[in-house]
Amino acid sequence: MTLVIIRTAIIYVALLIIMRLMGKRQIGEMQPFELVITLLIAELACIPMADASIPLLYGIISVVTIYVLHEIVTLLDLKVKPLKSLISGKPSLVINKNGIDDYQLKKNNLDVSDLIESLRSAGYFSLDSIDYALYESNGTFSALPKQNYEETQTSLPLVIVDNGKYDAKNLQIAGLGVDFFDNLLKKEGVKKLKKVLVLTADGMGKIYLQVKGEKFRTLNVSYPGGKTW
Amino acid sequence: MVKSLTAIAIATAMLLGLALFEWFYVADQFADFGEEVQTLYDKAESGTANAEDARAVQTSWETRKSRLHIWIPHNDVNKLDDYLAEAVRLIGEREYPLALAKLEILLHLAECIPGTYRPHVENIF
Repeated sequence: MTLVIIRTAIIYVALLIIMRLMGKRQIGEMQPFELVITLLIAELACIPMADASIPLLYGIISVVTIYVLHEIVTLLDLKVKPLKSLISGKPSLVINKNGIDDYQLKKNNLDVSDLIESLRSAGYFSLDSIDYALYESNGTFSALPKQNYEETQTSLPLVIVDNGKYDAKNLQIAGLGVDFFDNLLKKEGVKKLKKVLVLTADGMGKIYLQVKGEKFRTLNVSYPGGKTW
Repeated sequence: MVKSLTAIAIATAMLLGLALFEWFYVADQFADFGEEVQTLYDKAESGTANAEDARAVQTSWETRKSRLHIWIPHNDVNKLDDYLAEAVRLIGEREYPLALAKLEILLHLAECIPGTYRPHVENIF
């Protein structure tokens, strides 16, 4: 029984650490320690239930151990401020007035396309339509839009360059060649493609460009042949 | 807060209490069983053991077994059960050398099994 208690505690702590290390991608609307409980409880209850060679008491002891650990972690989370950020994590500000914070994205095992997906789920289609965006500690996404942000969302922006690489599929949808964007980047003083964190283009000719370590810029361009989508 | 602390204290006390009980109870049960098997072993070694002696040990084990099933995995209990049944039959047939081999295994298991539930590093991992 002591073994069961110790083993359960080890698995709980190990899973909690792993969940925290995995970043906000792996959790959805639950604090990491709540997700760990959800993952463990069902399994712990099931094994003695399905395997008649294991005493039922082992399952009960594991579940009670999890309960005790959960209560302790919840208390620490509520009452000890420094431990709160260690256990549950902190919100990550991924978009600020300068644009996307690449460091925060990487820290949470996310990339620009994940961020754009979250933005779209929240109803924002253009990166320049919001002032601030953050991933809460429970993995949910919050954004503060700019005033009159709806006016900036006139056409669906396509991600043309994501983290230094062209998106071939989106280039095809846009009907524009790599040369067009290479020239545009040259004009903007960007020498190497890999320095581009993100470049989006919408059907009205609005370009959102952010070079790594720099503030974002928006440009209005005319597409060859006046293409729109 | 008070409710949480009370719940934690009660649950922890219950877990520790059960763990301690299991520790001593399982050790005691196997120590007693080991003594009974040792007596039977000595008798078998001297060629004086009979079917009644063996069945007495088996009956005593049956009572222990029903309680041990709550505390330890049933496979361990069944393993002892099988060796004891074989030893009982062999003693009944006065096949002492073969019975001694089975009783030796039982003595070894009675000594080792409680240790496999102790919080030693090798058991934890």
